[in-house]
Amino acid sequence: MKKKIITMVLVTAMALSMVACGSSTSSNQSKGNNGGTQTAKQSGNEKSKGPLEVVIWDTNQQAGIQEICDEFTKETGIAVDVEVKDWDSYWTLLESGASGGDMPDIFWMHSNNSQMYMKNGILMNLDKYIKNSKKIDMTKFMPEIKELYTYKKSVYAIPKDYDTIALWYNKTMFDAAGLSYPDATWTWDDMYNAAVKLTKPDGSQYGFAMNPSNDQDTYYNMVYSMGGNIVSDDHKKSGYDNPNTLKAMDYVGKLLKACPSATTMSETGTDVLMQSGTVAMITQGSWMVSGFKQNDYMKQNCAVAEIPYDKTTGIRASLCNGLGWSAYAKTKRPDDCWKLLEWFGSKEMQEKQAQLGVSMSAYEGTSEDWIKNTNVFNLQPYLDETKESTGAIKNKLILRPYTYNSTVWSTGASTALAKAWSDPSLMKQTCTDFAAEMNKDIAKENK
Amino acid sequence: MNIEKKKAKKITSWQQKQLFWGWIFIFPTMLGLIVLNIIPIFTTIYQSFFKTGDFGKGNIFIGVENYKQMFQDAQVWQSLFNTLKYAVIEVPFSIVIALILAVLLNRKIKGRGVYRAIFFLPMVAAPAAIAMIWRWIYNSQFGLLNHIFGTHIKWISDPKIAWISIAVIGVWSILGYNMVLFLAGLQDIPRDYYEAAEIDGASGIATLLHITVPLLSPTIFFVLVTRVIGAFQVFDLIYMVMDTNNPALGKTQSLVFLFYQYAFTEGNKGYGSAIVMLLLAVIMLITVVQMVLQKKWVHYN
Repeated sequence: MKKKIITMVLVTAMALSMVACGSSTSSNQSKGNNGGTQTAKQSGNEKSKGPLEVVIWDTNQQAGIQEICDEFTKETGIAVDVEVKDWDSYWTLLESGASGGDMPDIFWMHSNNSQMYMKNGILMNLDKYIKNSKKIDMTKFMPEIKELYTYKKSVYAIPKDYDTIALWYNKTMFDAAGLSYPDATWTWDDMYNAAVKLTKPDGSQYGFAMNPSNDQDTYYNMVYSMGGNIVSDDHKKSGYDNPNTLKAMDYVGKLLKACPSATTMSETGTDVLMQSGTVAMITQGSWMVSGFKQNDYMKQNCAVAEIPYDKTTGIRASLCNGLGWSAYAKTKRPDDCWKLLEWFGSKEMQEKQAQLGVSMSAYEGTSEDWIKNTNVFNLQPYLDETKESTGAIKNKLILRPYTYNSTVWSTGASTALAKAWSDPSLMKQTCTDFAAEMNKDIAKENK
Repeated sequence: MNIEKKKAKKITSWQQKQLFWGWIFIFPTMLGLIVLNIIPIFTTIYQSFFKTGDFGKGNIFIGVENYKQMFQDAQVWQSLFNTLKYAVIEVPFSIVIALILAVLLNRKIKGRGVYRAIFFLPMVAAPAAIAMIWRWIYNSQFGLLNHIFGTHIKWISDPKIAWISIAVIGVWSILGYNMVLFLAGLQDIPRDYYEAAEIDGASGIATLLHITVPLLSPTIFFVLVTRVIGAFQVFDLIYMVMDTNNPALGKTQSLVFLFYQYAFTEGNKGYGSAIVMLLLAVIMLITVVQMVLQKKWVHYN
């Protein structure tokens, strides 16, 4: 009896699952046969009741973005679902989604990959919408960021934010060592000297920390301020064998002696090392502020200064990048997507993004709003770096270097440099070898 | 004559029915196999001869170029060697320890159900979660291990030991599964053998080696084959525990990790496919060798 019942249940379950299979295939078929107008429309309508899918990669910004989206829902009645992935799986998701034709409606774009996505028609062309829009004025956005998401004179993303890099330091450790705090007059040598003095021989405290994978917020800045480059201006050649780049990387090698071992830094992020009071200084991007201002240890002990400059060139270089809000070219709801993009790019919401401290905004005249997002840290150094000069020091904003598909060589650099990080005497050789490898990678790009 | 014919016909129609239902019952599995395994295998073979374009569009046929590049790529051979090293630790240890545990937990001891459940738990937890926990246990700066022993060992970033640390996680997480398979196998061994051995005065170890192991050999063989295949496909542990700037990555990354790096991170599906074909060939070779060698030690009474 018992057996019979079980058999019955199993058979029914299987029959049901088969029916489910059958019905889905038949509906697919009908879509194909009747030209799909009716069914497609129906499913489109059904979907419009559901939320717009938004995917981003930064947990620190989630709360603020969610708030902006909630207001959008209140205003328009269109629900929005914000999802966060980590950086690596974000790009895997987009890449496979774009290949398979199943993408989120709205997502962030980054200069590393924007060229590839724009060329292959993955992103929605926004020209038509921008022309008819009353809310979006493209002239108000930072021209550098706008340029990142323009391909063949068409716009593919609405600039979201921009960022600069500054020096974070631990006041308590500086006090204990009797050193004066970093300021706008610091050179890279000043920083090195302080880092050495702040490193304790027992391994309980180090002067500085940097990872080869945190390129934009660490060694790129040193390279550009010392007159080197990572990619040539025409985005075609590696700059890792540029003599000035090598000079900067030599400095990096020297500085590594005042850092925790490469192995430690590869296991524990430099931000965690700072937050746990293990290192006295790190250089970090403005995007980290929203996370740092929630950390009690940082609040009590840390402050921000301008990133140091190079004595020989007299240049202070801060890397700068900006994300864009873009939509999937084949989304079923292009008009709804545009409404949300327009919302993100409107003056009010760009101001709000800055006020909430989500990130600096790409919109003209919103920087004061961002400064005021916290009274725990004085964030002025992040902005001062964007001015033409500080006294005799020339300030330069450098767009994060990119090529058609930057992921390949930027991951490659991180892996290759890990060797030199463990043994700084290999730095010069590693960089020149990697330049050759990177040139090969660039030559292989599907431009 | 007539009756015989009828009989023959009857059997055929019954057989037909059997055949029909047989197909119905395996249909869902077949469908899954074809869609999820067989079609992808052929797509992978196909892709390995192409320089794949962005987002799967505009593939260019390049013949055996990917394979040529692969055979000259030191990284590929290093990764194959890493995979081997991993398997050499994971497979034997996970089998021997699980076997001992199974024998112990097959006895009538108090609370053996609880013990069995505890050992099986890692199998139920998500691999990604397991890897994250171990990552923090191993952390050289704040990790539990170094804290308890007061050492400064770089468990997962020293190239000399990182692969062992990873394999230890592998052993730990597969132990329970192997144990359950062995427990099932142990139920099939008749008690008489043990009673006879006891009367003859055989020691515990002798019973284990001369009765349990030979009679359990079909199960051991099954576990061995599936574990070797599983070990050669290790990916998630390494991916979750190690970052791309980890100095030990080069000496630890497995072939599947390298494949993921090329195919998904860098979008070079063609080269990734070639790497996976190499892995397929290696796994097939090892499995065939095991199949041949089993005649020497597996007893199907």
